[in-house]
Amino acid sequence: MFFRMVKGALFRQKGKMVMIAFTILLGASLATSMLNIMLDVGDKVNQELKTYGANITVVPKQNSVIEDIYELEGDDADDIKSAYLQEDELGKIKTIFWAFNIVDFAPFIDTTVDLNGSDVKLVGSWYNHHLSLPTGEELDAGLTSLRSWWSITDGEWMDEQASEDGVMVGAILAKEQGLKVGDKVTVSTRHASKELTVEGIYDSGDDADEQLYTTLDIAQELSDSDGLISSIEVSALTTPDNELARKAAKDPNSLSIEDYETWYCTAYASSICYQIQEVITGAVASPVRQVAESEGAIMEKTRLLMILITILSLVGSALGISNLVTASVMERSKELGLLKAIGAKDGAITALVLTEIMITALVGGAIGYFVGYGFAQIIGHTVFDAAINMKPMVIPIVAILILVVTFFGSIPAIRTLLRMKPAEVLHGR
Amino acid sequence: MTKRKMFFRMITASLIRRRSRMFVALLAIAVGATILCGLVTIYYDVPKQMGEQFRSYGANMIFVASAESEVLTEDSMKEALSYIKDDQLVGVSPYRYETVSVNEQPIIVAGTDIAGVQKTSPYWYIDGEWPAASGEVLVGEETADLLSVKVGDRLTMTYSQQAMENPDQPAETDAAAAEGAITKDYTVVGTLDTGGNEEEYIFMSLEDIAAQTGDSGRVDVAELSVSASQDELNAYVEKITDKVPAVTPRLVKRVTQSETTVLSKLQALVLLVTIVVLLLMMICVATTMMAVVTERRKEIGLRKALGASNRSIVQEFMGESVMLGAVGGLIGSFLGFAFAQAVSVNVFNSTITFRPLLVPIAIIAAMAVTGLASLVPIRSATEVDPALVLKGE
Repeated sequence: MFFRMVKGALFRQKGKMVMIAFTILLGASLATSMLNIMLDVGDKVNQELKTYGANITVVPKQNSVIEDIYELEGDDADDIKSAYLQEDELGKIKTIFWAFNIVDFAPFIDTTVDLNGSDVKLVGSWYNHHLSLPTGEELDAGLTSLRSWWSITDGEWMDEQASEDGVMVGAILAKEQGLKVGDKVTVSTRHASKELTVEGIYDSGDDADEQLYTTLDIAQELSDSDGLISSIEVSALTTPDNELARKAAKDPNSLSIEDYETWYCTAYASSICYQIQEVITGAVASPVRQVAESEGAIMEKTRLLMILITILSLVGSALGISNLVTASVMERSKELGLLKAIGAKDGAITALVLTEIMITALVGGAIGYFVGYGFAQIIGHTVFDAAINMKPMVIPIVAILILVVTFFGSIPAIRTLLRMKPAEVLHGR
Repeated sequence: MTKRKMFFRMITASLIRRRSRMFVALLAIAVGATILCGLVTIYYDVPKQMGEQFRSYGANMIFVASAESEVLTEDSMKEALSYIKDDQLVGVSPYRYETVSVNEQPIIVAGTDIAGVQKTSPYWYIDGEWPAASGEVLVGEETADLLSVKVGDRLTMTYSQQAMENPDQPAETDAAAAEGAITKDYTVVGTLDTGGNEEEYIFMSLEDIAAQTGDSGRVDVAELSVSASQDELNAYVEKITDKVPAVTPRLVKRVTQSETTVLSKLQALVLLVTIVVLLLMMICVATTMMAVVTERRKEIGLRKALGASNRSIVQEFMGESVMLGAVGGLIGSFLGFAFAQAVSVNVFNSTITFRPLLVPIAIIAAMAVTGLASLVPIRSATEVDPALVLKGE
């Protein structure tokens, strides 16, 4: 009988119930999309911030000291092989604990070459280097994404797979030397001499505008340092630093075992650096503070902003839902009065109304979740060109929110109705 | 006159008599208007506030000497700075680099405006203190390692014009040192960790470096942190190139380009979120209004039975809804400002200015939504035969 009554109410008052379900649907979709975006915005903004380039640099121990301070040049500098990193160890970067957070990296080797009688810095690196990792992961790494602020004024980015003797020229250098795309240039060092083809001219807005960029192989051949690299730039997704990370960055050994584990298993820039040092022999990895610190600040602000907007929209949708629920219960005063007049207990009436509304709420909420999913994806694709990662934890949050809101929205109305005398209600006061 | 008076009386009376129901509707409208106002304010405020956050990436413009002037003087730098709006200039730090010898080792010292550096390079991580008084220096970590000095130690620097011109022959003998070489003592008050090549330098104030080298008024480069959009920055570059021939301004592309990319994404995000939230809130307000009006079908029927024309009924009910919308919109626009202010203070630690234009916009929007939402049920109620409605269908 109870279910028959519920069913009867649901179908007889179709219009009204559809309206309640629709409002709940809107509220649920708003909650779903906002919560998902809020939870994912950190990752998405982090990805966007990668346009600032690498946030970790890896250099050989003592490299800078030996080269810069003693100003070794020519013969001597080339003989200090200890001041290099090994190229064949590069793949190991993708084997560390936080390997998944390393989105891009590129090795560098530079040498001074003679170009038409003037000394020019030539840098060898990766552009669109394809890596097949032992873990089965495929990755395209290199400058194309690590130097996203370079604008190619002529020609295009070097295609590492296709070009044998390509070189990219900085805008200022190209102007000085009158170089164009397709030109052949001869660069020579003490060790070797090579003829290279200009494939692109870039404008970087910094020192690189006066340099040449070519592949790692060519630069190694010119500097007679086969299999060696002088630095690595790593772009990693990191967690903003806190007290623990600062303490650990100074000396990881000063931490207690528990703190050490927390630190090691959190994607702080300092713990990723530490893990890189563990796998690359003779390397010092340090966070580029300019990038690392600012990333932290911006991500934190964005997340906070989204949290506050989410709270506002949750409050908004909660009020909207409870409003309508209250209104719809109040409307049925006559029906409830009649039920009471023919002897229904207060408990039975409350249970009846609540069941009706809860069923409506569940239907509305379920559809609302999928509508919200749609909204979140539309926003994700429009803004970040990527799908928003839907967190399963959002489902229980939205479900609880909807149930609590409908419950508390209907209880006060039911109570006022029950307190009235059936005769008064039926008479219409 | 009396007719209009009666009209208002009926509207206000019905609003006051049905206090609790109207309160519920008003609440819904006010929340909708709050969201409209709050989010729109935030949307317009995000680029400015976030732009300031992005300044933590450091300088986005540099001044160097132009080809014809060769040296950048402090005076020409100040002249160029006068073209940049004060409220957009976050900080400026002139740099002057010189090579000195410390313990017979050549080291680069940079003279700068210490207060300016803290603004243009907020990411510098100092162990110890920033130099405050004359004779205090900040030592880059690598140099500190090399010289094995730590905070609190003293350093002796020797600068000699002649020695620097022949770096292969450092001023070793006393005789050479005596010839125009200036030797001074400094206290290390902090070490610097940046992860960049700043770690190889020693930083001191411009006055100290002037005293050390014996000449002043000259800088090598000035770093500027300007909180402006890419277009505005380009305009500044053109203007300064044009007006101050001694200075060549350049944009730090890495910072400006990336900032534009990320900032436009963030603004698009807030915009889309605002649109979605507003759309849903509008529908929410509309359904509430519909429920409120539908409830009163009986009243409509009664009025019709008493001889009221459809027109006057629609007018009266619309008047009621629109008035509700206006009050809700007014309340909401102030609550919305309060919300935006709270967000700004909590997230960005700064206040925002009140946008008076948003108040009429919120009120009109609220009136339009409530009016349109009630029009549909009122219309359908007036079309029904009064007898049917009164009988209870």
